[in-house]
Amino acid sequence: MTPITAYAVPDRRSTADGTVDRLPSPEAWIAAAAHHGELFAQLDPGVRIALLARAAPTQMLVWEAGKSSVGARLEPFAGYGASAADIVLAADDEALQEVRSAVTRRLFEVLRDGIRSGHIVCYMLKRRCVLEERGLDEMLDALGFAFMGACR
Amino acid sequence: MQSGVAKLPHLFQPGRFGRFEIKNRIKYGACCVSNYNARNGFITEREIARMRVIARTGCGIITNQGAYPDPLGEGKAYFRQIAIFDDKFLPQFERIAADIKAQGAMPIQQILHAGRYGGIDLGYCVQPSDVPQTLPHFRPPKVMTRDEIRDCVRQHADAARRAIRAGFDGTEVTSFMGYLLANFNSRFTNQRTDEYGGSIGNRGRFMRELIDGIKQATPDNPLVVRLNGAELMDRWGGNTEDECFELMQQAVDVGIDMISVTVGWQEAPESSIGRDIPPGYWNYLSARAKKMFPQTLVTFGNRLPDPRMADDCLRDGVFDYWEVCRPLLADPDLIHKAAEDRLDEVRRCIGSLNCLSRLFRDLPYTCTMNPALGHEVEPEYQVTPAAVKKKVMVIGAGPAGMECAITAAKRGHDVTVFDKADRIGGNLYAYAINDLARPDDLLSVISHYEAVSRKLGIAVRLNTEVHAKFMRSVLHQYDVCVIAAGATLDRARYAHVKGAERMLDGLDVAHGRSKAGRRVVIVGGGKLGLTLGESLRKHQEAEVTVVESGKRIAGDVKPSFKWRHASWVEELGITCLTSSALVEVSADGVKVRNAKGEETFVPADTVVQADGAAPAHALFHEFEWMIDELHGAGDALIPRGLEQAIQEGFRLGVRL
Repeated sequence: MTPITAYAVPDRRSTADGTVDRLPSPEAWIAAAAHHGELFAQLDPGVRIALLARAAPTQMLVWEAGKSSVGARLEPFAGYGASAADIVLAADDEALQEVRSAVTRRLFEVLRDGIRSGHIVCYMLKRRCVLEERGLDEMLDALGFAFMGACR
Repeated sequence: MQSGVAKLPHLFQPGRFGRFEIKNRIKYGACCVSNYNARNGFITEREIARMRVIARTGCGIITNQGAYPDPLGEGKAYFRQIAIFDDKFLPQFERIAADIKAQGAMPIQQILHAGRYGGIDLGYCVQPSDVPQTLPHFRPPKVMTRDEIRDCVRQHADAARRAIRAGFDGTEVTSFMGYLLANFNSRFTNQRTDEYGGSIGNRGRFMRELIDGIKQATPDNPLVVRLNGAELMDRWGGNTEDECFELMQQAVDVGIDMISVTVGWQEAPESSIGRDIPPGYWNYLSARAKKMFPQTLVTFGNRLPDPRMADDCLRDGVFDYWEVCRPLLADPDLIHKAAEDRLDEVRRCIGSLNCLSRLFRDLPYTCTMNPALGHEVEPEYQVTPAAVKKKVMVIGAGPAGMECAITAAKRGHDVTVFDKADRIGGNLYAYAINDLARPDDLLSVISHYEAVSRKLGIAVRLNTEVHAKFMRSVLHQYDVCVIAAGATLDRARYAHVKGAERMLDGLDVAHGRSKAGRRVVIVGGGKLGLTLGESLRKHQEAEVTVVESGKRIAGDVKPSFKWRHASWVEELGITCLTSSALVEVSADGVKVRNAKGEETFVPADTVVQADGAAPAHALFHEFEWMIDELHGAGDALIPRGLEQAIQEGFRLGVRL
């Protein structure tokens, strides 16, 4: 069980391309995780879920499960492989705006709708069986992944 | 001239492809890898037996399934995909090509490098750029260098040369469904900054080099390229339809001989060939290609299962060749039946995508409608004359019963089918009339059984319930009894729930025997409950709440269709209470308890039980001493679904 508590959150800095402004703040992201505690409760320590702006993918906002907490922080994005993330959500500006305005109650509804409508691409950086072993079963369900596309 | 040929004059009109005469305008498309082959890429006897059937479908052009062209297996997408990177594989290809030619058709070999879906045995996949997959079978991308691109083109050319040496008359490369060619063509997956990426001209460079390389290697043999008219990935940053057609133009400019217009990627967030897509829906893409490229042959067949529609398209200049695959998996005699004006006997592909559902789980593909598919090499699946002719009674005119009856009758048995309902179809009829996707598809199964049973002289006694008293009245008149009475809903399941007797039976409501009100609670979020709920919501504007004891809805729905129910539930505004148990039913509604133990009251004027499907085991006990042979099939044994009903009915029919 992973309680939701904040850990060190780096200062929020703007970048020249405005990436950070597009993303929610780490504080808001921690609050969102706390609000949806049931989705994060089973995550193995080290599970990382990243959100980035498709239009300017230089920074990513990462949820990372620790041994006793889930934290959120901004990190440079240096490519999918280098992100060490399990899942990367790459959202267009329209979707990011909705995400920012729905960071707590409706967040996963917005994310799911965004994935289904194509405004958010959900990249899976591990095989599904691995993701499930790492405790992402409920998360994938909340993102609507189980019901995506004709071939899945 | 056969009567059907006169009715479909365009379909059966001869054509040309390169220097080859083609007997009609039908191309068997290599739309799926079968997964019947060896793990090391060799073609098996099982595959050769299947291809013997395909060779005899009557198609003018027959495309053999995609073979990967590289020795590492970077292009290998499927667990048992065939390989063509070495001459050692050729003997089996030679047998397939020779057999296709012997039937008067033109054999084409598809070369399939799967790109981002490839590398199944390697732990990585090759791509133009580092763009991960959105699918559950993730393999980390490895970006191709220029040298690797050149090698890849050479491997394709070698593979094409090898295919021609094996006796194929032409080759085909494919970008269908998001394979390597599509990865280079698409903006979504190609984010290179060198001469292979960026502009559409650069993105198409790999394709042009591929076409050029293969054409130089096999100058006397035509080449087909499968290209998307629509990727359905544009919302994720993929190509627009206009860009797809610009890429087709590039293929035409470098001398491609035929374009096969296709639709969709595996990752696309919407369906392209499922049951929810109306037949003919994508024809506009082919029409656009034919209009843009009048001098280049165009073939097409996505979600176009009917030969009559194909004939109309040929007449109207929508394409030059009808490309058909799944309908021929469902009924390999489709073309012959069309030629003989026996289309009412066709087993239609109903678009259940059982084939793909299995393929994506590394299983050999099978067909809901054709139980013999994949078993052609096994004598146990052949319909052969019965050594002893028997009088067979079949209880139940649903898919299991009718399949068994028809198969047994073809073998010479004297068959009578009994059903308490007033029509053929069993519970399939109830699903069909409530289905929001394509009721016609499911109803076609029933009309097929009606037509074929009539032609085989099977006696069908409707409005006749078979019980012990009835069995005593026909004692010694039959040698065999097959119980295929389907499933019922177990009302005792909720006997402990106060007021449960108020609940309507979901099958009764689905059949129209009971009527639901305007505010409905459906207990059970499986396929029956969802199908019923969606129908009540859409057609009767009922307020619908589904109460499901499991964590998720659609637990018994085929993987390829779960998403469809989930979408409908959202689109129609149906409330689903999962992990919820029924506590009490009253005149005003139901009380349910969730996983946390919280109780909620849901107001309703109708409560419908739609779960707890129970087999017909009691009949087996009742009839055990009344008949020589007693068998069962389908939901009467274990409630499951259409596919199992048809498969079991057939398997029983071939061995009675």
